[in-house]
Formats: sequence, C-alpha cells, structure tokens
Amino acid sequence: MNWTALDLTILGPAFLAGLLVVATHIPLGQRVLARGIIFLDLAVAQVAGLGLIAAHSLDWEPGAWQVQVVAFATAALSVLFLHWTERRWPQIQEAVIGSLFVLASSGSILLLASNPHAGEHLKGLLIGQILWVNYMQLVPVAILYGLILLQWFGFPQRRSSLPFYLLFALAITASVQLVGVYLVFATLILPALAVRHCKQRALWYGYGIGVVGYGLGLILAALLDLPAGAVIVYTLALIAILIGWFVNRAKD
Amino acid sequence: MQKIFKTGLTLVMLLLTMPAMARLSVFACEPEWAALAAELGGERVTGYSATTAKQDPHHIEARPSLIARVRNADLLICSGAELEIGWLPLLLRQAGNAAVMPGRAGYLEAASLVQRLEIPTSVDRSMGDVHAGGNPHVHLDPRHIATIGKALGQRLAELDPAGSAYYQQRQQDFLRRWQQALERWQKQAAPLKGMRVVTHHRDWVYLFNWLGMVTAGTLEPRPGLPTTAGHLVNLKQELARSPAKMIVHAAYQDDRAAQRMSQLSGIPVLELPYTVGGAAKAGDLFSLFDVTLARLLAAAS
Repeated sequence: MNWTALDLTILGPAFLAGLLVVATHIPLGQRVLARGIIFLDLAVAQVAGLGLIAAHSLDWEPGAWQVQVVAFATAALSVLFLHWTERRWPQIQEAVIGSLFVLASSGSILLLASNPHAGEHLKGLLIGQILWVNYMQLVPVAILYGLILLQWFGFPQRRSSLPFYLLFALAITASVQLVGVYLVFATLILPALAVRHCKQRALWYGYGIGVVGYGLGLILAALLDLPAGAVIVYTLALIAILIGWFVNRAKD
Repeated sequence: MQKIFKTGLTLVMLLLTMPAMARLSVFACEPEWAALAAELGGERVTGYSATTAKQDPHHIEARPSLIARVRNADLLICSGAELEIGWLPLLLRQAGNAAVMPGRAGYLEAASLVQRLEIPTSVDRSMGDVHAGGNPHVHLDPRHIATIGKALGQRLAELDPAGSAYYQQRQQDFLRRWQQALERWQKQAAPLKGMRVVTHHRDWVYLFNWLGMVTAGTLEPRPGLPTTAGHLVNLKQELARSPAKMIVHAAYQDDRAAQRMSQLSGIPVLELPYTVGGAAKAGDLFSLFDVTLARLLAAAS
C-alpha cells in the first residue's frame, strides 16, 4: 500500500480526463452497441492513432493543430468508408471493421520501423498515459466535447447514420490521445453492456458506472502502485458487472 | 483503559516528533544511483529507484506513486544525457516539485560530471536513438563512480547541513574502499585488454574504454532499433573476417537477438548485470563490478 500517491493534485487531472471521456462515450457507446458495430471504435481509434503517427513522421510537434487535423481527417475518412461499407455489404460489416483495425495497426508499425521509440509510441497509443495529462491539455478537449454533447442531446433527430459516424470519429480522435485505445473501448462498451436491458435511466446508470470505475481505478492504481490505465479497465468491468447484475435483478 | 490511552498518546507523540528525524529523500532514476546514495547517505537517507535492473531505463510505466515520490523528494539523481528523455521531463512537470527541477540543488545529473564518450558532431533522426549529450551509460566506468560520488556527497551535505560531518566521513570511507577495489579490478582485468566483444546496445562503451576492450559490433543496427535479419548477416560476415570472443547483453535486454547471432556465428552469449540488482550476487556497487569482471574473465578463458 502506498498512501502518499493518494493525492488529489496527482490524480485530479487524470480523473477529470476520465470524466470528460465518460461524458461523451457513455451515450456514444450505447448507440454503438445498439447498432451492433462493437469493433468500430477499436478500428477508428487505431486509424486515428495511425494518423497521429503519420503526422509525427512529418516532424510536426505532438500538440500542434496540424497533427490534430491529420488525425481527425484519417479517422473521418475511415468512418466515411465504414459508413459506405455498412450500406453496401451490411452482412460483412464486422469483418471489414476487423480488417481495417489490423491494417491500421500494421501501418503504424511500418511507419515506426526506423523509430527507436516505436515500442513506446505503440504502447502509449494502446494503454495511454492518463497520468501524464495536465489541465491545460484538457481545455480544448472540454470545449470539443461540450460541442459534441450539444449536438448529441440538442438535435436527437440527427443521431442517424452519417452524423453519428462523424461525431464518433471526432470524439475518439481526442480521447485516444488522452487515455489510449483500451480505455476508449472499455468506456464505450462495458457500461453500455451492463445497462443494455434498461429502458429508462440507462444513460444515468452508464454515467454512474463510468465515474465510479475511473475514480476507483485511479485510487487502486495509486494504492497498489500499478499502471493506471490498465487498472481502470478492470474497475470499469467490475463496476459494470455489479451494476448490470443489480439492474437486472431489480427488473425481475 | 488507561494503558490503551497511554499507548495511544505515545503513538501520537511519536508521529508528532517524526519530522525531527526526517531523512533526506533521494529519488534515483536508475538503481546504480540509489545504491550510491545508500553508500554515501547511510541512515540519514531513504533512497528509491524509479527503474529496476530488469527494466530498460529508456522507458517507464506511469504509476501514481512515481509522481508522489518525485513530489516528496529532496534530491533527484539520474544518469541524464537524455537517457530518461522519454519520461523524466513528464514526471518532473507532473510532480511540480521546484526543489528538484534542473538547475536546482536538488537535481543532480550524473553524466554531466564526467567526460562522456561518443558525443555526436551532428544528430538527426536517421541515426536512431543517439543522444546529443553523448553516451549516457556512464556508471560502468568505476572511475566515474568515484567522481560522481564526490559530487553526490557534497550535495547531500548541502541539502542536509546537520549531517555534513556524517556525510564527509562516509564519503571518505567509501572512496577509500572504492580506490582499493579499483586497483584490484584493474589487476584482475588485465587479461581482458584488447578483447573483441559484440554487444546488444552501446551501453558498455565506458566499461570497455576503462578495460581497453574493443566493441566488435552491435546487434542493434542503429542505437535503439531492433535487430534486422540483414544486419545480422552483415555482422556475421564481419565477424568471420575479424572474430569476437563473446556476445554481451544486459540483464534487462531480451536475449533472443544475442542467441540468434550466437547460432549464426558460433560465438557464446554472456549476460552481464549492467547495474545493481542485475544478477543475484550484484547487490551493491562493489559486487556489480566483481560479478561483471568474474563473468567476463570466465568467458574469456
């Protein structure tokens, strides 16, 4: 046990990043699950990552706006493509998404072939570095997510196919850089799975799972001295199972 | 009841008087510097190493405790010369401890205190993980340990003036024992002079420079890049022309590349501890060099 790490100024920025991701990914995740395109986020997140790495190889600074534009453009291209394949060949959509994921991952490895920090970059993309987040980094993400939520809850009729795919690409491009592919997937899918049978309040249960999962995960990571991102994936799963069980029992 | 109350009171008193016997908290990026701080600081210092001998000091996982430890540290000692460039700047920024920022008394960069080798005339990305400040693996020349030990001893006394006599006495004692060991090692290692060795990464140049050994090639085509098949074939042809005695890798490095090269060339593989804790018997700085030399001599004969 390590109590000194239990410090709000250490865990605060990471928790706030988690709250931002939770705010947008809970409603998006329920939609992804309802549409049955679970691996869409893994593929799009990986493509956004590929875009980030490509922008890096062009020698742009990690925080530069060009990098963000490239990352979002590649993610948007991939969702446009997937939107098209969903209409063209709906029965093989999952297979196409899976193939895109593998191509994007392998593409990142090829782009990083001559980079001595390749391993770090690839791992950073997957498990993220939520603890290295600082408040300044969160400001643009908070503004972006505010706009996404406004669009989502303000114009529910536009949640149909194409606008959904584009909002999704935008949200994931930002969240992947904050918390990594694994946490993005876990935040989208685990809470949505737990409350899939809920008619009402599914959204609030989902938010509850997200907030408690991130909070508990960060506290455990601090106490047990473990990498934070991976611990949060597990606490999200644990809370999702508990709440899912509770919600289903209450219904019977 | 009264007994419980008394015990409780004693405990509270103990906790209240804790700061009076607070020790200097030293955060080391690598185990060798934590070991040096333990030699020089004794019981006035608590040391912590961010990496272990089984971890590559170029990389690190972000854990909350690392930030907390830097935040509470009085002194930070790291190899520097960009060895920790992938994680230390982030860690320092996140911890926000002004006392251990570069340029302050609480920040000690070991590599800056010694003559570095392999300082490039120009650096660009195509060269791989080349450090502009030169090769950062300075601790493997034991003469450097003495130089850095002097600076660390002074720094400890500066940060904890009440213990300056204590630090001075420990430093003199350490340097005397180190000098004796150094003379013994130099005598022992005489047969190693001129020996050609293939290494995994260029982390042995200071050891080889000290002992007059020769790097016959590296398994990495460029520093930090994984081995490629083409590079191994080229290296094999080079070794056929001018042979090497062994292939050396550090305890923290995956030995698959070394084993593959060994199959290709018939040259035996040797694992060396690289730092304190890298082998069962290398528990401190003295035994680190004892084990390293013993293994090199055994493999050379």
